[in-house]
Amino acid sequence: MINRILTLFADSKDLITKRMKNDDTYMEIAYIDSLCDESKISEGIFVPFSRNKKPFHDIVQFSSEFKPVHEMTEWSSSLLRGYVLIYIHSKYYSYDASRIIRVESQTTQVESSIQGPQIALTEDLKDGLNLIRNRYPEPSLSVEERTIGTVTKTRIALLFDSRRVNSKVLANVRSKLLEVNMETLHSAGELVKYLSGNRKHLFPTMLITERPDRISNNLAKGKIVLLIHGSMFGIILPVTFFDFMNSMDDRYESYWMSHALMIMRYISVFLTITLPALYIAIVSYNPELFRVQLAFSIAGSRSAVPYPSFVEVLVMLFMIEMLVEASVRLPRYIGSTGTTVGGLILGQAAQQAGLVSSIMIIVTSVVAITNFVIPNNAMSIAIRFMKYPLIVLAIFYGITGVVIGMFSYCVYLGSLRSFGVPYFRLPGKLIPSEEGDLGQVSSS
Amino acid sequence: MNRYFYYGFLYVALINIMLFVPNILLQNRYTGSISSMALAIPAGTLLALLFASSITKFPGKAIPEIMYEHHPRWLVSPVLWMMAIVYFLGSVIVLVAFSVVINRFYNPDTSSAVVLYLLIAASVYYSTRSTLSLLFILEMMIIINAPLIFFVLGKALFSSSFNWDAIRTVANYIRVRPNIESFAAATYIFSGYLNMSMVNRALPPNFRLKYRWLIPLIGTIALLSSVFIPIGFHGTEGVEEYLFVWSVTADSMKMEYGFIERVLFLYLILYLNLTLLFTTFGWHQAMEFIKSTFKSHTPKLDEDKTTRSNWIIGIAFAVITALYSLAVNEKLNFNIAAVWLIVRLFVELLAVVWLFILSYKQVRRTRTKRKEGNEE
Repeated sequence: MINRILTLFADSKDLITKRMKNDDTYMEIAYIDSLCDESKISEGIFVPFSRNKKPFHDIVQFSSEFKPVHEMTEWSSSLLRGYVLIYIHSKYYSYDASRIIRVESQTTQVESSIQGPQIALTEDLKDGLNLIRNRYPEPSLSVEERTIGTVTKTRIALLFDSRRVNSKVLANVRSKLLEVNMETLHSAGELVKYLSGNRKHLFPTMLITERPDRISNNLAKGKIVLLIHGSMFGIILPVTFFDFMNSMDDRYESYWMSHALMIMRYISVFLTITLPALYIAIVSYNPELFRVQLAFSIAGSRSAVPYPSFVEVLVMLFMIEMLVEASVRLPRYIGSTGTTVGGLILGQAAQQAGLVSSIMIIVTSVVAITNFVIPNNAMSIAIRFMKYPLIVLAIFYGITGVVIGMFSYCVYLGSLRSFGVPYFRLPGKLIPSEEGDLGQVSSS
Repeated sequence: MNRYFYYGFLYVALINIMLFVPNILLQNRYTGSISSMALAIPAGTLLALLFASSITKFPGKAIPEIMYEHHPRWLVSPVLWMMAIVYFLGSVIVLVAFSVVINRFYNPDTSSAVVLYLLIAASVYYSTRSTLSLLFILEMMIIINAPLIFFVLGKALFSSSFNWDAIRTVANYIRVRPNIESFAAATYIFSGYLNMSMVNRALPPNFRLKYRWLIPLIGTIALLSSVFIPIGFHGTEGVEEYLFVWSVTADSMKMEYGFIERVLFLYLILYLNLTLLFTTFGWHQAMEFIKSTFKSHTPKLDEDKTTRSNWIIGIAFAVITALYSLAVNEKLNFNIAAVWLIVRLFVELLAVVWLFILSYKQVRRTRTKRKEGNEE
């Protein structure tokens, strides 16, 4: 066996091969040193083999830790996952001795919640499954495992409640997973990009989450969850636009407050998309839209500004985007410096220097703050982009352009599908007694 | 799924302003429009109910599928083309009218043609989407715009400068004999039920139209408000002087609080949305009618990808609309609208009666089949 393995692998120092013999048995083992836990190997193999209280061959045969390997093609993949390959009595076995380095901290970082559960998924697939199984103790929970990536051979798990899942969606997801053809897979985002096809999507059609409680909720709703070994995030699909506007806290707080917050979020989305475009449209095309006093004060604050409104908007938006981008990428210690400097420039100096009007500063900050209200990061980024096409339309067409642009966004959202499920459709029914659904006749 | 019927009904009832329905009715206000309106309410309701109850006998089928099933191709195809042209022309009239409105009230500096081209481009994109997507969009747009509708309506009715006497004076002309022009214009309010001719594909098999009282209610409110509110603001004689009478009416209202002072802007935003919605559905239905006359065509509710035939027909529509706008001025567009309203009434009558006969046959056939089955 050893000779064959040595020909399979490139010359590497951490590939350990040994031929061993005790009183009665001869054994060959091979493993990759850097992937394995040495203590596990000595406990499970070296010690019982050398002591030989019980014939080692019997242990290998009866213990569930040793799994028989039938195909030679499995050798390299199991070695590369941290398994030890054993050749004994002309049979091959593998023994799991893998050592995985992972982030130990298990509190939620991206989707924080105030009073909800604080635990997040981990980078190990098994631990992730453990967390979900604990929160969703249903016998109908089905787990399928696959590997994706010709080089990385990342393990992923496909979870769904077999009683509640929509079989059409499931078949769609399975066939798409089979089609995935990529070399490396490290994060949930990569898989999402591949699954949504090569079309250039603006909106996320899958929800990336780190919260086991969210995953459990969605499993109960009949959705499908993908977990990736080595990534702290799971993927939930199919989703609608409205799922992205939910934070988990909405379920844990009182009815009226959480609904008021929800309405506020939609208003913020509307503001963050339209405000810069409306500023251009109103200042350059229809100042008479506002009441007279307001129109005068806007014109007054713009009196020192030497260029048209759209230059002003583009300059300020460029500044704020840079500020957001910088504060994300900077290490935490320098981050606060960046925001202070940026805030000073944006808030005070630019206006006093007569480069931008004071109203524009309010517009810019409203746009930035309202964008942070969106609870999901992927959606937040999509919406951050949405204001730019509207600005272009506002430059050429004024308010008409903005309204047409918003209508176009609605149409685009309405024609999107997440794995066959409409993306921008109001959830639920208006009248509870209503029977049937659209499209039943033709789809059946 | 009744709501989808009423959404379709509502936006068509509201778009009447862009089809010059109030202008036609106001021109004839002393010569028979009031009695025509009084007649149109029961007539329109009857047509809507007949059509809705007939088409639900054919679950999941649109007009072309139903007709091709019962009649030979050479008879049906020209009828479908005619319906497509009627639908398409209606949207073209609205688009051109609204581009002029934008030019007059929003952007007086830019030419109306530039705005029209943007509207056309947007409409091509919208109308090529699948029928199912358009239904979701319809629901969304109605929900987004409903507050605006109620706001403008309420603002008008509770305005202090609203003159109820003028309305009463005009309403007294109800004894004058009705004429066909006004009658056709007034029945237009109810013609939203024709959306069912395509939307029926999407409706579930057990669909029955409920809340039928909503049809006369919505229709009456829309009809009365679109005619009488301008009279209330401009008086019995003044209303005649404007081509875009409702824009001027909206501009007579004022909001005392808030950022925006003139109701006109809210009204224009509302009608921009409604115009786009109307054109989207008009073009989409015309497109579906034309496509259904092709031999190789199989109707699909929700294609994965926009088909090439959709794009080709959409672009053809766009070119025709642009040419129409070059050839036609506002006055001519108004006259064409008046003729279109009358022609539409007869096409609608034809469609309703035809469908009613077919559904009657269908019901009788299933009944005799059932009887035979029982006897055996």
